[in-house]
Parts: sequence; structure tokens; C-alpha cells
Amino acid sequence: MKQDFPILSRKVNGKTLVYLDNAATTQKPNCVIDSMSQFYSLSNANVHRAVHTLAGEATEGYEACRKLLKLRYNASRAVITSGTTEAINLVARSWGEFNLQSGDVVVLTEMEHHSDIVPWQMLAERKAIELRYVPVIDGKLDMDAFDVALDGAKLVCVVHTSNVLGIRNPVEDIISSAKNVGARVLLDAAQAVPHEMIDFRELGADFMAFSAHKMCGPTGIGALLVSDDAFDEMEPFMGGGDMIETVTLQGSTYQSNEHKFEAGTPRIAEGVGWAAALEWISQIDLESHHKRLLAIASDVKNELVARGMTVYSSLGPQDAAVISFNHPTIHPEDFARLLDAQGIAVRTGHHCAQPLMEKLGVSGTIRASFYLYNDVSDAEALITGIDKVLEAMS
Amino acid sequence: MTWSAPIQEIIDEFQDIDEQFERLQVLMDFSDEVEVLPVEEWTEVNLVKGCQSIAHIEVEIADGTVWMKAAADAKIVQGLQGILSIAVNGSTPEQVLSLTPEFAEEAGILNSLTPSRSNGFRTMFDIVQNNVRRTIE
Repeated sequence: MKQDFPILSRKVNGKTLVYLDNAATTQKPNCVIDSMSQFYSLSNANVHRAVHTLAGEATEGYEACRKLLKLRYNASRAVITSGTTEAINLVARSWGEFNLQSGDVVVLTEMEHHSDIVPWQMLAERKAIELRYVPVIDGKLDMDAFDVALDGAKLVCVVHTSNVLGIRNPVEDIISSAKNVGARVLLDAAQAVPHEMIDFRELGADFMAFSAHKMCGPTGIGALLVSDDAFDEMEPFMGGGDMIETVTLQGSTYQSNEHKFEAGTPRIAEGVGWAAALEWISQIDLESHHKRLLAIASDVKNELVARGMTVYSSLGPQDAAVISFNHPTIHPEDFARLLDAQGIAVRTGHHCAQPLMEKLGVSGTIRASFYLYNDVSDAEALITGIDKVLEAMS
Repeated sequence: MTWSAPIQEIIDEFQDIDEQFERLQVLMDFSDEVEVLPVEEWTEVNLVKGCQSIAHIEVEIADGTVWMKAAADAKIVQGLQGILSIAVNGSTPEQVLSLTPEFAEEAGILNSLTPSRSNGFRTMFDIVQNNVRRTIE
């Protein structure tokens, strides 16, 4: 598969790139790169407006992305956003603002990415809602505490799969319990959709946010899937072109479909690119790749533990192939720079999950995250690279 | 450009290195050049705000010369502080203010270190110069 990804043959610091920062963003196959280049070369125009041929092609290309999203995830509503962050902010602004009142409870977890914490803190300031955080114990959500926190909840926001630990939360149980108390559920699925097929309707969540770039699509585009019931409760917060039905000097009426949440010229080329990525990934057996990558990651974990590292990821059978680890004395930044010097790209820092870092008792970790094009050779290169760092720092 | 002898020595040392891994190793060796700011003197004021590592810099002017103390939990960052220390310690405030960070570029340190959100050499260089400027004004 590596030959489909031109970037993977480049050299970094004189060595062939070993890309293990996939939880941050994934690389793009030729078909995605070509589709965007072809769009700009042949079909570039604005969407939903003009009657000329290019406008028709652009509209078709962009809306194909929405169609594919609905089809792949079995959703009736797919709002195109700039990514997961904007999708979550859209829920806070377009649903939270209009459906939550002072004193209402929103349940979050300590495992959330900042993008699923900050919008709710901002809303809490505006609406005086109560935020309850489900604790993380031994790297897992405390489900007993979750049940307690649910009391009186109007909304539950939970990360499907952690970007730090790779752990897949028991979202089916979470949704079922939340529904029992009449709460709506928002899933941050940014790290989930790259690794597993999700049937949004069957899962029963009300909102699901994710990004294209973590599943081999372009940056700058993502989606919010919305259940029909929740969609009817949303009001647009951003006004402008494309989202209206009619505008007079006295007032405006809005589109009834997803367009009412997509004011302005959308990310057309990115939509075309994401459509290409969705078609590409639909040919991939995610489940078998997931098993393969998890086996590779587990072997790496064993090697790391054998070298005295602390590994925070449990790598259970449903978890993503994400390994967060630390060395007892070598700073993560030193470690990552010395790996980069060998062409190996890993992430370091708090991974935009500072509350979770605090819970783990660290300021940051080194994170190696694997994706479809990674293989055993990448894992071997990582371990060899780590050994060179350990030798240099001893 | 003409640099002071200690700075030129740093440039020469780095220019001879081809491998990035070795360059980082040498950079980490410079962490020993820092007069370490003790942990009990780490404050919000002397904290270098950033995402990745914890770094502190304190700048003093005594008897007309600049002296910096610093510390970082990442060795590479403290190595950068070591190079900065060599460049500024013992200089007059005017010399420090006329210094530019290009010497690090010439040494290949700036280009070889992908910038994180902060804690980069330029950030720490600016902190030292701003401290000197504030003190003499």
C-alpha cells in the first residue's frame, strides 16, 4: 500500500520517512491528491449557485462527499464542517445554545480532547450550565461514576476512541444509559472512523463529529452527523450566503437541509478530495487492518516495556493502534527530536488533552500511532531508532 | 558577518557536522554550559511559555555585564540555552541588544530544529533581549 502514498518515499534527515504520527493526521494517497489537483485544473467553480457547466461539476463533486458520508455511516443528516472541532462547536452553538438552560447538566469525561471541553466551558459561561466530568481510572472511564453523573443530564459528550491512549470507550453502553435518562449524545469520533466502521443510526447517538484528514482525506474538512430528532432542534448560528432561502431587508428565511449550517462558500476542493478518500477507504478491509496494526503495536509495546518505558496504552482488542509512552529520564521532546533525526515521525506533548495528562501524572507523552500503510518494517525502524536514542543518552 | 570569538567557535563546531543525530547530540552537550537556575527560583515570570518542555530564563545585569541563568527539563532546550549563555554572558547590554539570532542559523541550529509552538531558540533569544532592554530602560 505504501506505493499509493508518495510522501512515504521521501527522505527526512537522509533517512526514508517512517511516519507514525497518524493520530495527528494521516498521509494522502495519490487518488486524493490527484482528485483535488484535477478539480482545480478542470472543474473549479463555486457550488449551489450558477448554472454553468463548471458550477454543476463543482456542486456534484462537493455533494458527492455528503452522499458518500451518509451512505458509509448510515446517516440522514451530514453537515460539512471544517473538521471535528468546528463540528463540536456547531453542536454547542446550534443545539446547546437553544436547548440548554441555566442549571442543565452536560456530562463530559476527563479523556476528552480540548475540542470537546473548551466549547462546553464557553457555553457554560454563557448559559450557566453545569459540566460534570467522568473520571478516568487506570486509563479507562469510570462507568460507575458515569452512571451517577447522568442524573439529570441533558447532553453527554464523549470521545469514542482516545487520541492519547487509543482506548475505545464502551460507547454502546454510554449511549444506551444516556438515552434512558433522555439525554442527547455527542460522539467525538475523530479517532474512531479511521479504524472502524460505524453505523450511526444503529449506534443511536445524536451527533457524531469527525475529520477527513485522519482517514487519508484532506485537512480543513470534517462532518457532523446528526439524528433527525436532534437536527430539528438545531438553529443556525452563522449567517450568510448559501444557508438562506430568501433574504429581504426585513428578515431572512433559512434552508431546511444541512446547508443552513454551512454559510458561505464551502470547502469544495476538500469535499472532492474527501469523496476520493471515502471511495478509496471503502475498498479497504478496516477490520483486518485493525487487527494487523494492533498486533504490530502490541509487539512494539512489549519492546518498550522491556526497555523500561512506561506505556499508557492498554491496546485492548477494540482499541486503536496508538501507543503513548515515556522513558523514566529522557524528556519526550528530546526523544522525539532524536527519532526525527532518524526520519521517524512521532508526536510528543500533551496531545491537546491536558486534563488526561494531569490524571496520568505527566506533562506529556511520546505517541506512536499506526495506520493502514504502516507495517512491521515501520515498527522495527521505531525500535531500532529508540535503541539508538537510548544508547546515545546512556 | 563577524561574530565574537565564542560565537564563531559554536558556528564552526556545528558547521562540521553532517548528521542531524550527531548535531542534536552536540547540542545537548551545550546544556552543561548553562548556569542552572535552581528549581526554587522557577517562577511564572521567568517561565518560557510553551507546549512541549518546561524552560526558565533569568537575566541579570551586574557591573555592566549581562548574565543569564536558565534551566529546562528537555536537554535539547537546555542545550539551546547553553549556546545562548555563551553568546550573551559577560557581554555589555549594548552588545546583547545588537546581537541577532542569525548566528544560530549560520551554525545550522535553527534550520535543523523543527520549531515547536514555543521554546524555540528565537523565543528564548527574544526573552533575553527584552529582559536586558527592560532593565536598562
